[in-house]
Amino acid sequence: MCARCLELSRRSLLIGGGAAAASLTTGVAHARIRPQDMVPLVGPGYRPTEKDEQGLWKEMERAEEEIAGSNLLIQDPKLTGYLKDIIGTVGGPAAHDFRIYLARIPDFNAMMFPTGFAVVFTGLLLRMRNEAQLAGVIAHESGHFLRRHQIRSWRDMRRKTDLFAIGAMVAGVGGAAGGVYLGDYLQLAQLGTLLSLFKYSRDMEAEADAMGAKLIAQSGYAPIEMANIWEQLIGEEEASARYRRKHRRRGSLFDTHPSEGSRMVDLRADATELTIPGKAYDNRRARYLSMIGAIRPTLLDDQVKLNDPGASEYLIQTLAQDGWNGLLRFYEGEVWRLRNRHGDDLRAEQSYAAAVAYPDAPADAFRWHGISLMKEGRTAEAKAAFARYLVMKPDAPDAAWVRQMLG
Amino acid sequence: MRKLGLALALTLGVSLSGCVETRQYADVQFTPPEGDYKLLVLRPDVTVGALTTGGMIEPRADWTNQARSSIVAALQSQQAGRGGHVLIVQHRNELPGVPEQELADVERLTAAVDESIVLHKYLGDYLPTKRGRGLDWTVGDDAVQLGRKTGYDYALFLHAEDQVASTGRIVLGVLGAAGCIVGFCAPNIGGATQLDYASLVDLKTGEVVWFNVVRAGSEVPGIKFGDLRTPQGAEQMVERLLGRMKPGQDVRHQQGAR
Repeated sequence: MCARCLELSRRSLLIGGGAAAASLTTGVAHARIRPQDMVPLVGPGYRPTEKDEQGLWKEMERAEEEIAGSNLLIQDPKLTGYLKDIIGTVGGPAAHDFRIYLARIPDFNAMMFPTGFAVVFTGLLLRMRNEAQLAGVIAHESGHFLRRHQIRSWRDMRRKTDLFAIGAMVAGVGGAAGGVYLGDYLQLAQLGTLLSLFKYSRDMEAEADAMGAKLIAQSGYAPIEMANIWEQLIGEEEASARYRRKHRRRGSLFDTHPSEGSRMVDLRADATELTIPGKAYDNRRARYLSMIGAIRPTLLDDQVKLNDPGASEYLIQTLAQDGWNGLLRFYEGEVWRLRNRHGDDLRAEQSYAAAVAYPDAPADAFRWHGISLMKEGRTAEAKAAFARYLVMKPDAPDAAWVRQMLG
Repeated sequence: MRKLGLALALTLGVSLSGCVETRQYADVQFTPPEGDYKLLVLRPDVTVGALTTGGMIEPRADWTNQARSSIVAALQSQQAGRGGHVLIVQHRNELPGVPEQELADVERLTAAVDESIVLHKYLGDYLPTKRGRGLDWTVGDDAVQLGRKTGYDYALFLHAEDQVASTGRIVLGVLGAAGCIVGFCAPNIGGATQLDYASLVDLKTGEVVWFNVVRAGSEVPGIKFGDLRTPQGAEQMVERLLGRMKPGQDVRHQQGAR
């Protein structure tokens, strides 16, 4: 139509190519989705009306039945009630339709299923420093349901594979009729289809982040806490990789989730938009700690036994930013003891010694403290520590052995 | 997202051969139940979906319900013909005297054992320790306890999955066939596939005494071989799967010697 159009399109092509090249190297190139654009697409009591979604729900009913009866679940009514309470606060219009299950898996994860039930891993409860962070993750998962991500992804995948199949067939038949070989283009189209599916998945995650930030801000939590989660996770993965003399994995075009770095940056920008200046936000740390208090030793125990000392140490240091206590000091000792590099025995001894000085020191801290005192030849002090251990844990599996040590 | 990869591999990959195939294994001492036996059929695990144009499987709730009731009806009429006393448990809370979770545990354990049988007997990962021993798997004490509590002799587990080619898939196949005229021949893009398996557990010993797999597939979309949604298709499947139970190796040898 005009001369400039050609120039423009050439320029846009160049820009597009440049962006594509940049995204190949970083894997994070995408536009931020703004929280204010995120409107829930379902109301209370949502039920599917279309055949494909009904089919998905039917499959998920069975999945929920299996998950609800799994012996990996933690059934403690205080904890499950707490999680239900949170999703009831940050769940938007579907708040009272959600079900939430807690699975004992020492990994940083939570997931939402298409029918509105969520599974939270215990590894998440270990890593969250306050209720606002936990609410952030749960709000992100609620966002997946509220924005109908699963059925939208499924339809996107169906549409793209349909198009690819038709395109491939037409190219094959058409190419044969016209005497041209289009196989190379087909391979390119196949890669393009794959990449666009992964891109769609990353976009859904970005939507859920923005929706989640909006939801927690509406519930009175500081939206910046969602960005803090990613900062913590990046730190943890870097520490874990450093210990193994590796590099932390960065994003790629084949990822289903945006890279942690880009999520953190976007969530920071979201938080700036959503934070009301002068408003006092409560992260409800005290309530969070009192709720997870009973399970925290288990959370730490599961973590230190993963044989990932880099991550475990980082996690304990991060949690200790809110103040050291006997439990954290004891598990710090456990990280060193289990790592068992040169000098780690001394580090562990120091941690156990520090742990027993706190009123909340677990019984095992006295046991290990006693053993290290014994090694140093401080028999009288060791016996005192063992005696304390037996008082705290009279039914310990090794009680008979410890009694023998006491003489 | 491993599922996504799998779905894509299925979409872009080559489909199964176009035929119906069954292969059964039995415990060496197995004699097919006859006469006055009591059989417990645990909730049949049925899924029916549509095969999309691109080759993905879209689960369909209405078709699945239809197929499940057809299969249950077919099972009932087949077993009635054999003289057995049959109870088909459609929901886990329907078995008197057995709590829901306990039945669920037996179901899950059997599902895991069945998967292992499929892996080591059918998919090529043969175990040298099990060679020549017929079917050598057990569900163990849980199954024995279930038998003791309910008074049933056998438990049957049934799994069936079926895909019906969508119109788009059929059209694509027709296009592929039409391409043969110009020299691009691709009629065999893969159509409906059905996979059914069943295992029979002896509730007195806890052992899996008999196992059978039916696999049916067509490379050309639009060709059918028994639609599980219809009474006829379900009957055909139940007959293929459970119709001819062969006795175990030792039993057959004895019968041959006589």
